[in-house]
Amino acid sequence: MSLMAGGTSLAVAHHSAAVFDASQQKEITGTVKKFDYSNPHTWVWLDVPNDQGGVDTWGVEGMSPNFLNRRGWTRTTLKPGDKLTITIRPMKNGEKGGMWITAKRPDGEVLLMNGPIKDAN
Amino acid sequence: MPRSRNVFYGFLAASLLIAPAGAAQVTAQAAGSQSTTPPAPKAARRAPTPADWAALGKLPDFTGVWEIPLGGGAARGGRGAANRTGGGRGPANAPSLTPEYAAKGQEQARLAAKAEDNPSANCLPPGMPGIMSQPYPIEVLMTPGQVTIVTEAYTQVRHIYTDGRPLPEDPDPSFDGTSVGRWEGDTLVVETAGFEPVPRGISFPYSEKMKIVERFRLSDPETLNVETTILDPLALAKPYEMGNRIFKRHRSWTIAEYVCEENNRNFVDEKGKAGINLANPQASPK
Repeated sequence: MSLMAGGTSLAVAHHSAAVFDASQQKEITGTVKKFDYSNPHTWVWLDVPNDQGGVDTWGVEGMSPNFLNRRGWTRTTLKPGDKLTITIRPMKNGEKGGMWITAKRPDGEVLLMNGPIKDAN
Repeated sequence: MPRSRNVFYGFLAASLLIAPAGAAQVTAQAAGSQSTTPPAPKAARRAPTPADWAALGKLPDFTGVWEIPLGGGAARGGRGAANRTGGGRGPANAPSLTPEYAAKGQEQARLAAKAEDNPSANCLPPGMPGIMSQPYPIEVLMTPGQVTIVTEAYTQVRHIYTDGRPLPEDPDPSFDGTSVGRWEGDTLVVETAGFEPVPRGISFPYSEKMKIVERFRLSDPETLNVETTILDPLALAKPYEMGNRIFKRHRSWTIAEYVCEENNRNFVDEKGKAGINLANPQASPK
């Protein structure tokens, strides 16, 4: 951002994307452990099997409830036990977390957080 | 805009210097009080009359929920237009800093280049004028002597007094500042002063003398234009026009709660290092 640009990025309400690796996308497949329908971000906690025969819990940051409600989401769109493959922008530091890009259920249903507004009026 | 910008700024300069006569009297009384006596009480607000309520119906109807369309570029008057003069009708407009503040600006830019995020990551609201360009809607309320703006982002409230009181000379600093407004025909002109030194969506250094002027006007019943100009006699050699923000009306929407502290896992430390706290998912309240 140049000094003289006058403003800051206006697309993000809460924080920058500095913690995420913009050059990477990663798919994680697992079972929803918990869905925080909370501000300033929703969090999907996904239990993902690891190479050692155990399970890692990944934290995936999503858009906020006010934003999602207008796009057809509710606090029960994701439930504990749901199977899900989430495409994330992973964290730069290698921690088990990332930013939600898109997700798919086993039946092929795609879950977008930035989909069209349900009632634009 | 019907009048030329030069005339506009001449008017602004005059209006900022000259307070209404009645208001000046109140100020003089307060200034004349001795330190041993309590300061003169603030003038009580007159109870609104039925005529005051009826008069609201003759003003342009700003009441309701509005949002800057997501993804709108300069040509569409959306978010990308915020830094363009007149909503895309001209080139990007750089602030003209005074030499002293240009030097401060270089240091600020050096620090900003190192910082990965700003304090909003820790849930501090962005303040004015940044709070007026968030990707979430606002709600405008009109009552006698006051226009109120509720912003969904950070659940902020701006109180704009339209009862003729002057802008206080030296208000305590706050995130959204202290605002007064007046009607010029169909345009609500809002002046705001008194700002905490937080980023607030301004990437140049500003002084405690900064004032923000916003001109609110409907171009049609569904479209609210907000032209924002920053004046700062210490930092800016001339007023800085932030451009025209264009809000679209949403008659079916309501404003949601947004308590940032509810479950904030993002953070930025004092050195500008950003991170996310992924520990203990069960700790979140939902």
